[in-house]
Amino acid sequence: MDPPPNPNPNATDAQPQAEAGVRLAALSLRGGRDLPPDFEIHEHHLDDDDDDDDDDEGYLTAASRGGSSTCAWKGLRDDDRDGDGDDVSPPSPSSSGYAGERGSSLDDDPDPEPAQDWPRNKKHLDEDDASSSWRKRKKHFFILSNSGKPIYSRYGDEHKLAGFSATLQAIISFVENSGDHIKFVRSGKHQIVFLVKGPIYLVCISCTEESYEGLRGQLELMYGQLLLILTKSVNRCFEKNPKFDMAPLLGGTDAVFLSLIHAFSWNPAAFLHAYTCLPLAQPTRQAASAVLQDVADSGVLFALLMCEHKVISLVGAQKATLHPDDILLLANFILSSESFRTSESFSPICLPRYNPMAFLYAYVHFFDEHTYVTLLTTRSDAFYDLKDSRSLIQNVLLKSNVLIEVQRSLHESALHVEDLPIDPSSQSASQPPQSSQDMSSQSLSSEMAIGGPAGLWHFIYKSIYLDQYVSSEFPSSISNQKQQKRLYKAYQKLYASMHDKATGPHKTQFKRDDDYVLFCWITQDFELYAAFNPLADKTQAIKMCNRVCQWVRDLENEIFVYGESALSWQYHHCWGGK
Amino acid sequence: MAATAGGNKIRNAKLVLLGDVGAGKSSLVLRFVKGQFVEFQESTIGAAFFSQTLAVNDETVKFEIWDTAGQERYHSLAPMYYRGAAAAIVVYDITNAASFTRAKKWVQELQAQGNPNTIMALAGNKADLLEARQVPAEEAKAYAQENGLFFMETSAKTAINVNDVFYEIAKKLLQGQQVQNPQGGMVLNQRPPERTVSSSSCCA
Repeated sequence: MDPPPNPNPNATDAQPQAEAGVRLAALSLRGGRDLPPDFEIHEHHLDDDDDDDDDDEGYLTAASRGGSSTCAWKGLRDDDRDGDGDDVSPPSPSSSGYAGERGSSLDDDPDPEPAQDWPRNKKHLDEDDASSSWRKRKKHFFILSNSGKPIYSRYGDEHKLAGFSATLQAIISFVENSGDHIKFVRSGKHQIVFLVKGPIYLVCISCTEESYEGLRGQLELMYGQLLLILTKSVNRCFEKNPKFDMAPLLGGTDAVFLSLIHAFSWNPAAFLHAYTCLPLAQPTRQAASAVLQDVADSGVLFALLMCEHKVISLVGAQKATLHPDDILLLANFILSSESFRTSESFSPICLPRYNPMAFLYAYVHFFDEHTYVTLLTTRSDAFYDLKDSRSLIQNVLLKSNVLIEVQRSLHESALHVEDLPIDPSSQSASQPPQSSQDMSSQSLSSEMAIGGPAGLWHFIYKSIYLDQYVSSEFPSSISNQKQQKRLYKAYQKLYASMHDKATGPHKTQFKRDDDYVLFCWITQDFELYAAFNPLADKTQAIKMCNRVCQWVRDLENEIFVYGESALSWQYHHCWGGK
Repeated sequence: MAATAGGNKIRNAKLVLLGDVGAGKSSLVLRFVKGQFVEFQESTIGAAFFSQTLAVNDETVKFEIWDTAGQERYHSLAPMYYRGAAAAIVVYDITNAASFTRAKKWVQELQAQGNPNTIMALAGNKADLLEARQVPAEEAKAYAQENGLFFMETSAKTAINVNDVFYEIAKKLLQGQQVQNPQGGMVLNQRPPERTVSSSSCCA
């Protein structure tokens, strides 16, 4: 176990043994209340299903059970907070010590949300750093100013966290004063990751075993989301007044940040830096792209047609390209703000990767519950023009049945690993490529023994050239949210290890653990991430991956958006290829 | 309340709602346009656009409504929405004195920057929450009279006075044009587009 972060070792060196002992005793008192350990784990997992922590795998439980309750918070408390490092009293919600409370994995959630949806409003405003529930949260995000003023906290009321923010600021400036920059502090299961962006500091405190690079990437996206709302010119407020209180400027955007943090546990776009498309027949997508192109030609900078987080079509004015991170942040902003759904909206937004300094004006309109168009322009007076453009788009979409096809695709067109075509050699001999239901039921007996073809459970394929990815649907073996989050995290880790700057980049990785066989394959053109049954055979698995790549290539016209090539095809088609 | 009968003139009128966060601007609009109310209306982003027609006697007003966001970061955008507006509703929450202070600032800004012909209404919303009232109706009424606004207490929740505010504005818009033309005070170089329909009505 890593020792606690301790810039001043003398303060605590005398204590650790005794403290650990006391803490352990406290833990066994709590954890062991009347329940066998297994029961506790079970209850914890049940609890997780309607817990807002997107990142809980029971690591805390494991840590405390193993007696390795190195105190992640101790460093903060002992050395930078109030200095009363001798807090050996049994933990209580009102004590200032962070140590003991961590031990309990039972998250007594005061208002459990329905399990089917993620909790949009679970900020827990009643909490602050003195609340035991707050300290037990497994992943915190903070944004603060370089004067230590709180700007955003995932949990709790920012105002009440002023002292805690000041502590974080003190750590950062302590290191900066020695001419260095702090990247992270690791302590036991906890990792504290720092990101400094001019006058704005972002901090993540997590015990989710995610990699430093992964967490840092998440902080970068948090910062991007902040820029999307305010632009980088907010820095000027700090130049004028270092004590500037920025929190009010983000008023009403809690849902936006909560939804982004939620995306860190389900949306592969957040670590792949690629976007995904809604599968559609080529002519359908071309109909949409053609009208968006017309609109872009009439002075719109970007025109995006999206269904939830998936792109139906996107078009940029000459030479303007959209970064996948901007698409992620824009879609997150629109989808998490109920306001956009009530009518047509016109709002300034900034695309941080396109131009972090300037606002664009976004016209947003939902055609139905899932499908929406976003038109971005530099002109603040363009509303009525964009409104007209929207009605032009709407007419075309209705006439060419695009919206109906989108609805159908949303419910039917997903990639299922059971549909993976069998070897080309034997394909003609056996069943024709019928509907997926037929095939999966036929292959059920042989292949479902280890699940899916040769144990293939799931895959993500990223086209490097297109900045787009496609992922299969989750199979029945990974049906619940918790299993899906675990796989997501495994992919995240796999991605980080493949792209590790120190040891990589790597071309292939084959990894077997209790949960999966994970396989990753990176070439110049694509990255493939696949998860198999842990019992899957390696040779078979590699064969399957080849088949997946072939399958994706066969479907590429339906599952990817080809900007220019698709359109040039369209024009040749229309004008007889003159 | 949809537009009726062929032949009558439809008059377009840009209307803007201004006011503090949580005063109930969106709720008022949604009540007026869709007849809906939700207890926890989420914050508006930027500005939301609605249109709704209202028949007044034998004439029809088509409101083009800008429901602006009350959040501080959007304040600098407000002129974009109130510029050229035929009417403005400044909304405050009767249970929140700070929102009334904010409303007065909006009135000042409109008086200083806006079009002098803009019809201004002051709406004290959440009038159903009488027991939590912080802003006395008399105070708001007196303020409105001093500043030439017309004043109503409304409740988007119970629908009290919501349609009435818009109806009053529509009436004033139509009256305004009748009164204004005989006065003949039209400045040639600044012709508000909203007034064009009115001038044609007397030739009809």
